[in-house]
Amino acid sequence: MMRKIGTLVSNFQRFIPLTATAVLVSVAYGVGAILYPGMRDPQVFLNIFRNNSYYLISAIGMTFVILTGGIDLSVSGVMALTTVAAAALLREGWNAWLVILLMLVMGMALGAVMGSFIAYLKVQPFIATLAGMWFARGMCFFISDDAIAISNNRIYTILGQTRILIPGLSDPVAQVGDFVSISAVVGMLLLVVAIYIAQYTRFGRTMYAIGGNEGRNEISAQLMGLPVNTTKVLVYTFSGFCSALAGVALSIFVLSGHGLYANGFELDAIAAVVIGGTMLTGGEGYVFGTLFGVLVLGITQTLIQFNGSLSSWWTRIVIAALLLMFIGVQSFLAARKGRRRRAKEAGAPSAATRRRRLLAFGGSGAVVLVIVALIVVNVIQNSAGDGSDVGIPTTTSACELQPYRRDMAAEFVEDGAVVVYERNGGPHCIDELYAIYPDGRIVGDDGVNTVEKQITPEEVDTLLAGIIGYRWFTDEMYDTWHTPCGQCYGYYLTVSYDGQEKTVKGVDGGTDAPADYWQIISLVKGIVPKFTAAP
Amino acid sequence: MSKSKSSFTLSKITGSSLFFPFVALALILLFDLIAVPGFFRISTREGNLYGNLIDIVRNASTVSLLAIGMTLVIATGGVDLSVGAVMAIAASVAAILMNPYVLATELPPHILKFMSDPNFTYQPLWVVILVTLIVATICGLWNGLLVAYGKIQPMVATLILMYAGRGIAQLITNGVRIQIFYEPYAFIGQGWIILPFSLYIVAIVFVIAWLLTRKTAIGMFIESVGTNSRSSFFSGINEKRIKLLAYTFCGLCAGIAGLVASSNIKTSDAFNLGVTKELDAILAVVIGGTLMSGGRFSLLASIVGAWVIQAITTSMYAVGVPAFALQAIKGVVVIFVILLYSEQVRGFVQRITAQKEA
Amino acid sequence: MRPPVDCDDTLGQTVRGSMMSDNDYIVEMKGIDKAFPGVQALSKVDFFLKRGEIHAIVGENGAGKSTLIKVLTGVEKQDTGRITLDGKEITVKSPLHAQELGISTVYQEINLCPNLSVAENILIGREPRRLGSVNWKAMNAQAKEFLLQRLNIDIDVTQKLGSYPVAIQQMAAIARALEISSARILILDEPTSSLDVHETAQLFQVMRKLKSEGVAIIFITHFIDQVYEISDRITVLRNGSLVGTFETVGIPRLELIAKMIGRSLTELDEMSKIKLESGKHIRGEALLQAEGLGLTGAIEPFDLALHAGEVLGIAGLLGSGRTEIAQVLFGVEKPDSGTLEIDEKEVKRFSPLASIGRGVALCPEDRKEAGIVDDLTVRENIILALQANRGWFRYLSMQQQHEIADRYIELLNIATPSADQPVKNLSGGNQQKVILARWLATNPQILILDEPTRGIDVGAKAEIQKLVLSLAEEGKACVFISSELEEVLRTSHRIMVLRDREKVTEFSGEVDEQEIMQAIAGSES
Repeated sequence: MMRKIGTLVSNFQRFIPLTATAVLVSVAYGVGAILYPGMRDPQVFLNIFRNNSYYLISAIGMTFVILTGGIDLSVSGVMALTTVAAAALLREGWNAWLVILLMLVMGMALGAVMGSFIAYLKVQPFIATLAGMWFARGMCFFISDDAIAISNNRIYTILGQTRILIPGLSDPVAQVGDFVSISAVVGMLLLVVAIYIAQYTRFGRTMYAIGGNEGRNEISAQLMGLPVNTTKVLVYTFSGFCSALAGVALSIFVLSGHGLYANGFELDAIAAVVIGGTMLTGGEGYVFGTLFGVLVLGITQTLIQFNGSLSSWWTRIVIAALLLMFIGVQSFLAARKGRRRRAKEAGAPSAATRRRRLLAFGGSGAVVLVIVALIVVNVIQNSAGDGSDVGIPTTTSACELQPYRRDMAAEFVEDGAVVVYERNGGPHCIDELYAIYPDGRIVGDDGVNTVEKQITPEEVDTLLAGIIGYRWFTDEMYDTWHTPCGQCYGYYLTVSYDGQEKTVKGVDGGTDAPADYWQIISLVKGIVPKFTAAP
Repeated sequence: MSKSKSSFTLSKITGSSLFFPFVALALILLFDLIAVPGFFRISTREGNLYGNLIDIVRNASTVSLLAIGMTLVIATGGVDLSVGAVMAIAASVAAILMNPYVLATELPPHILKFMSDPNFTYQPLWVVILVTLIVATICGLWNGLLVAYGKIQPMVATLILMYAGRGIAQLITNGVRIQIFYEPYAFIGQGWIILPFSLYIVAIVFVIAWLLTRKTAIGMFIESVGTNSRSSFFSGINEKRIKLLAYTFCGLCAGIAGLVASSNIKTSDAFNLGVTKELDAILAVVIGGTLMSGGRFSLLASIVGAWVIQAITTSMYAVGVPAFALQAIKGVVVIFVILLYSEQVRGFVQRITAQKEA
Repeated sequence: MRPPVDCDDTLGQTVRGSMMSDNDYIVEMKGIDKAFPGVQALSKVDFFLKRGEIHAIVGENGAGKSTLIKVLTGVEKQDTGRITLDGKEITVKSPLHAQELGISTVYQEINLCPNLSVAENILIGREPRRLGSVNWKAMNAQAKEFLLQRLNIDIDVTQKLGSYPVAIQQMAAIARALEISSARILILDEPTSSLDVHETAQLFQVMRKLKSEGVAIIFITHFIDQVYEISDRITVLRNGSLVGTFETVGIPRLELIAKMIGRSLTELDEMSKIKLESGKHIRGEALLQAEGLGLTGAIEPFDLALHAGEVLGIAGLLGSGRTEIAQVLFGVEKPDSGTLEIDEKEVKRFSPLASIGRGVALCPEDRKEAGIVDDLTVRENIILALQANRGWFRYLSMQQQHEIADRYIELLNIATPSADQPVKNLSGGNQQKVILARWLATNPQILILDEPTRGIDVGAKAEIQKLVLSLAEEGKACVFISSELEEVLRTSHRIMVLRDREKVTEFSGEVDEQEIMQAIAGSES
């Protein structure tokens, strides 16, 4: 019986990583559905596809590259470049379809260039695609320093807003029900096409032949007469295509383009591919698995959202722990295979190696279990406290940014306030406006509530002295601005004192703001009262 | 007689590991000399030196520190992608040690005043620095264990910490970007004793690294392991311990770099600190002539490589190239450097100079 | 004892310039020369392959077997000489070109993709397609059919190649080779190294079947038994030259071995008289004692005792376990049976570093992979093991390093412009001397030398042999492994003979070459 199971396992050994991920996905979603009734709504599941369509698309391209044993670090750069270039062209009035087509061609061209460097000039993929990323991001800023909004473009609006209703879960007549976006459908279509290419074309099979076995497969493939170099170039071209397509999807999603978008995104893509069961050394893995990798990330984010009390950076830690476990499993399986082969040739492997492998595997598994346990405990504690449904969030990234209230700020200054402080943005898209008066009164307004606090006039003087001490009214304090990232805030600070009035703006994430600006913001933040909701 | 002596020196120079990086640096400075009048002017203020050249080496100090550690790792045939994330972790640890009150939701007002006091720190500075460096060393140790004992590919193993590191850094400060008001800490990155203080830090770390690698057998063992690990095994070298040391030291260097960088902006910015710095560090090492496959290395050449990168940036600014164009140019430079360093070109140059001897 | 027989006449008839008509030969290689920097790999080698024959090529290390095949398959180009295929002169431009010409090779490392299925490996690049997409069903059926029909192998072709043992992988490689170009010439490079008895028999069945279909097979191996079992004719190479080509049935085993590793039999009597009597300072106690020491798959359990002041020679053919014994004694491989005592203390930790600490040194056989660190200088290579033994912090000063390096450069006559020359610039023979210097510098009490004179010129060989004996005189124990019997004889006080990974016997004192060769040859002589 055990032997039968053993042979069954070894026969289907290649499916183990994929199965593991699929199981993980189901378990995670199941746990979530139990803990949070809100997650049982099928729309939540569909939203994962809606929100991560660009993620899936770029990860598919990365899968191909990794299968050949290479890597593509330029994904985020090409994506960003696509958003910026598309937005700029649309602003000039170009036809949207033409723009999309042009972007895809551009992505393919960049990919082909990098692929040629890798295949013919024998540059390491790591370095070649790294240079590509720098180049692409740099090109973004050639086009525009600031974000470019895509507004009032009919085609883009259609592409972004159309709801594709799921048959069986919706009522087409009334146009309500569970839906998914066009980008998500495109992503799934691409998945199907990619699976077909990988499994049913010569190009795809050559791709598998090149990767793996520590580069020996590539030599074998060449000796077997396969077109190794051409295949490599095509693979990177395909990845460039996917990066560009992902960029298009992203630009539709956020309706803007900026060179700072998708920072570090290639890591997410690689994580999805690895968790999906594809080995980083190449040659093994299924494109279908990448879908599960993306789902793992999406579900993790959803769980954290529903929990509400876990901060978003836990996502990264959880994903990293999963990554570690999967890589540990991959190493373990690879070592077992190597040992079996060597055992055939040279007798039994030393017990010490086996013990060490087991230790490594067990160790990483234990680490993951601990982290998962911590999270689960945390989650249970919090959900026991909350009890009620958390509302279904519609999107995970961009919420509707509120407008700045500069006119209201001006009113406060006219009214006699010495310091007016506005903070806008963040994960919950707030806009908080405070005014500090010389008599110690502090008033705050976030558009919904108002809050008041009284401090002493001496404390106001100390604050002002501190601000002036940081050279507020000199040239060393100046405006800086970028489009804020999803988590970031934008700040306006007006100081009116002794006949002088100066407003300086700044935004989280920019490293070129004067250092003392943040010191001052911090001082002010410490003094003003908080609204009861967001921190 | 004299002819053979001079050609001997010529090929010795071109063969030296410092040759190419210095040529690169010289080319850039030459460009500056022509294109930017007054580029090389050095002024003094209150006994301290200022000027573009000083700026180059000062702004390069973070990457220089990273490059020192990265050189050892690359020389063993690996790579460490997590140094940027370790910088962020170090900065978070330092900030939280100086100012843990930031985490509290409600603060009595007198504590509030303390927090922004430039003389206030919760822990004395030496404790802050010591604990930070210990944490950074542990990060390096983690990487080393994964690579040397877990036999995981270096790129993959360090990718994990690179990914999780920023999450961990944010975890430490609970997502708050802590402002650091403590003045002595700011001195690390912004202070000046005739020359910028960070230069002295770089110099000290360089000397320590140099002593560690060239005055002990460690340097030779690293080169041996990176060149041919099986032959090194047969000769009795413990490859695992050497690799562990390299990655641990790299983590330590990243911690020091994190201190310098965060003191420069007086913040612990877990999100942005050190972003893409690991790539700069790798590029510096490559420009410095260490092969990514491992083997011979030169710490000084890597630092020169860091200067080259910074010199490009500073020169572009001086010429008036806007910031955004810089990244694109960097990408082009990388390609140029990589091709220049490929075996073919190097061998070509050395063959020509060798022929002149004959 | 049989009367000495001269190679060049009677039974061991060479076929050079023979009466055979030309169209019996499918391949003719005439006068092939090939030189690499520092070594003449082939000199004036002739090779003739008949249609439908199984032709074995044998020879020890450095004989030139692999170079000859590389020339035939287009991996290397010969310096002089002609190659004729089917009567027409050809130039083989690349391995792919060779395949197109009908010459297929299955290498020792298989050179397929273990992560793909068996069927894919056989047919990739030429898979049957339907409407542009790969037709898996047809491909699997075709591969299965092919394996069954031509090789009599029935396996599940949908499984990954890597999940099958090496024997099956080889079959897949052979199948691909035949399928692609309906190869008329199949070259098998050391195919049986990783096979057990059953699998070898299976392979031979396949070979016989192919032979009956008219495929000519070149069979490179070092297993003499197998040569006699399967081949029709044998070509012997030695040190880059052709010794001769013989009918298998016509050459006795002993004679074959003599041609491979020894001088002609007429000189044997002379050689056996040359003996150095330095055995007087062999002390009683055993420096090294091995009992039942073995490693599964590498070397059968053996006993060995080594005394101070003696040189133990190990003789045997390539693949008999010579290197494996050396590696187990030095701790590169951990044995799984038996005990090893050095200086009367049992060895628990098996690693090169631990062995160096105990005073054991191994000068390995594979100079490139286990010997030189090519980017480091001569000086660094020489002091490397010594430094490893001292650890990280007791660094030898530059002066000390130069002293040691210069001493050995002079002692071994290493040709290098300076001690700071990167060792990769030296010729092979000098590199070998550097490695030897490295191990001498550790001042071991037990020195194991695995093919220490390979690639070294004749004059230097003699010097090294004298050096080994003088080390013994100083009270060290040496193990001397070589495929050149004459130098084993000249330098050893005792000789251990290995065959097929097993210790066969030990000879002490006076023994002549013939007895040793008989022991190596085994059953018949």
